[in-house]
Amino acid sequence: MSKGALLFAFNSPKYNYYEMAVATAKRINHFLNLPVTLVTDETSIPTDSNYVFDKTITVTPDKNNKRDWGIWINKGRYQAFELSPYDETILLDTDYLVNSNKLLQTFDLPTDFCCHDNTHFLMYPDIPQELLSNYGFKTLWATVVRFNKTKRAEQIFQSIEMIQKNFEHYANLHSFIHSTFRNDYALTLATRIVNGHTTPVSDYIPWNLVHVGKNTSIHKNTDDPFNTEYTVMFDNWNKGKIRKEYNIIKDMDFHVLNKENFLELI
Amino acid sequence: MDTKTLITEAKARFNHNSAKAYLKDKYSSKLIVADQGGLWRADQQTISFLNSMSDNFLIVVIDTFNNPVQVNREKLLETLKDTYNTVMLEWHKEWSELEKKR
Repeated sequence: MSKGALLFAFNSPKYNYYEMAVATAKRINHFLNLPVTLVTDETSIPTDSNYVFDKTITVTPDKNNKRDWGIWINKGRYQAFELSPYDETILLDTDYLVNSNKLLQTFDLPTDFCCHDNTHFLMYPDIPQELLSNYGFKTLWATVVRFNKTKRAEQIFQSIEMIQKNFEHYANLHSFIHSTFRNDYALTLATRIVNGHTTPVSDYIPWNLVHVGKNTSIHKNTDDPFNTEYTVMFDNWNKGKIRKEYNIIKDMDFHVLNKENFLELI
Repeated sequence: MDTKTLITEAKARFNHNSAKAYLKDKYSSKLIVADQGGLWRADQQTISFLNSMSDNFLIVVIDTFNNPVQVNREKLLETLKDTYNTVMLEWHKEWSELEKKR
């Protein structure tokens, strides 16, 4: 059974996702000892990159998605099932910083598909879990997905495709904003559809997805390319004043929401 | 700017509550073990239960995925005890280091 990681990276006018993917791939190779396949487009591939992915697959991206900061090319993630060359795949966001071999444990989970259903925001330990809408389901996270080439996993990705192509309809059904397509929302609904509107606990990775969120920045403690110790700085707003707080973390994987901050770490 | 300077210049305070939460999150996840076709948490409750069933060689236990799994009790107990001891020692060591920070 072949195992590997899959990344999607399409450069936007604001961010160089290919560069992020190379940094993430190097850490996957180092900490997980897994090959990495990249799904990208011709225009994102630089002429001077000296990192060689296990495979590089070029596709034509759907650029029809926007966030407050500009174009966000995140559609087409449903192709992961078809494009992955591995029997068992870890599908990761490119802004996920691997600092341990923890993700290897997802291969031991007795399931053919799993993702995170719980998050932990560093410096915000009590923040509630995100819901699709005020009265909606708890959001699942597409940041880390481990899947095998099974019929059920294929159906989940086919459902993600269906939801992406009919996102406005599903947004109306579930009362969330449709102006920005989110893989997290499509994944949440797709797993429910395929599981007969149940929520089997075996579809969830049994530890939290760690986020570095708003008002929080993270700084590496050494210049080692495979540094695993970080200082987390947090602006704690209280009565109109900022109190700076910090924490030190090590050997823990995390997802950096702030892309500028992620680029400083790689 | 190195991180020590960053902390000093920002007059940042170490946040013990978030440090405790981070440690709990990190080490709780390390207590999860896949063994004998089930997924287990090497916690006090599971270890105590396995200890209390000492008359039986094979027992059925509900794993963290809510599946009943038939296991070799002694083998699972050893695995969970090893994991518990290793992880809790690491947790205690890192907690002791962070507790000194101000």
